[in-house]
Amino acid sequence: MKFALSVLCAVLPLAAQDVKMPVGLDKLGAKASEVVDVSLDGALLQLAGRFLSEKDPDEANVKRLVGGLKGVYVKSFEFEDRDQYKESDVEELRAQLRGPAWARIVSARSKKDGENSEIYLKTDAGQISGLVIIVAEPKELTVVNIVGFIRPEDIRDLGGHWGIPKVDIAPVKPGKNDKKEDEK
Amino acid sequence: MKAIPLVLTLLSAVSAYAADREFTDVVRIISEEFHTRPTSIPMFGLVNLFTAAVHPAGTRHIDLAVFEHLSDHDRQGRDLPEAIMKAVGRSWRPFVQVRSHRNGREETVFVYMRQEGKEWKLLITAIENEEATVVQLLLNADALARWITSPEHSARHWNGETE
Repeated sequence: MKFALSVLCAVLPLAAQDVKMPVGLDKLGAKASEVVDVSLDGALLQLAGRFLSEKDPDEANVKRLVGGLKGVYVKSFEFEDRDQYKESDVEELRAQLRGPAWARIVSARSKKDGENSEIYLKTDAGQISGLVIIVAEPKELTVVNIVGFIRPEDIRDLGGHWGIPKVDIAPVKPGKNDKKEDEK
Repeated sequence: MKAIPLVLTLLSAVSAYAADREFTDVVRIISEEFHTRPTSIPMFGLVNLFTAAVHPAGTRHIDLAVFEHLSDHDRQGRDLPEAIMKAVGRSWRPFVQVRSHRNGREETVFVYMRQEGKEWKLLITAIENEEATVVQLLLNADALARWITSPEHSARHWNGETE
């Protein structure tokens, strides 16, 4: 019984996060000058939502979004030098996002800054159930996993909250949110 | 004379919030790793008397252990973050972890949390090159919300880092 409970306890957080952080990505921590992990489950998000103001339009927006979220998980790596991580380090994560439930809805590449932002959307039975953001810069890599109902256009409102980076994406028009490629 | 019942009430309130096993385990792990003991903080009991009465910034109780003058020469050599994570166990939720090493300066901050009825406990461990701090806070929901709003900033701020 104890063993079964231990196994259950071990599996539950992974199930909640849905997307598993690849071991290869975790190993980047050794090269990074800074690694930040933020984990906020549903209960904590609801608690945070209680303290957001209804009067401030920005906070009211975030408060509305929080109601549909079950978890926010952020992992970011900062490096002293450029090119400390390889495309293959991120590939293991991308492979998980190629399943039938996932669709890459935005891929923005900036030649000037070398920044590459990707947004993947998860749907279950036609309902949005999660979103993953990968922001790869020459000296920084950030992976955000948002579990729950969130529309891609809401990401801008969440940027700057709970460790989520500000992602500058063009708003996705209704009905045109499938496989959008955007080159800056 | 009237103050005596108040003091007794405060003392009983303070003693009701003893440090959790995980706090003492983390303190023990750091003590063993560096073959040292936490620095004695004079009159820290008074801080908790004040905290129990006034609840500054929504904090009802503080347990604190500060290690100073830590030296790599005295180290056992175990993986400290790993040992701390094991000691804290699954009853605490990992909230924020910051590990940084810049210009030869190592800093690690772990923040775990646990709900206790309507209140929340935060267990914060900050390890730098020559110093380590272990803190357990008992907070109300308002105080916790301030942490949640900007977890990364809170962890850095706790570690004394300025932006």
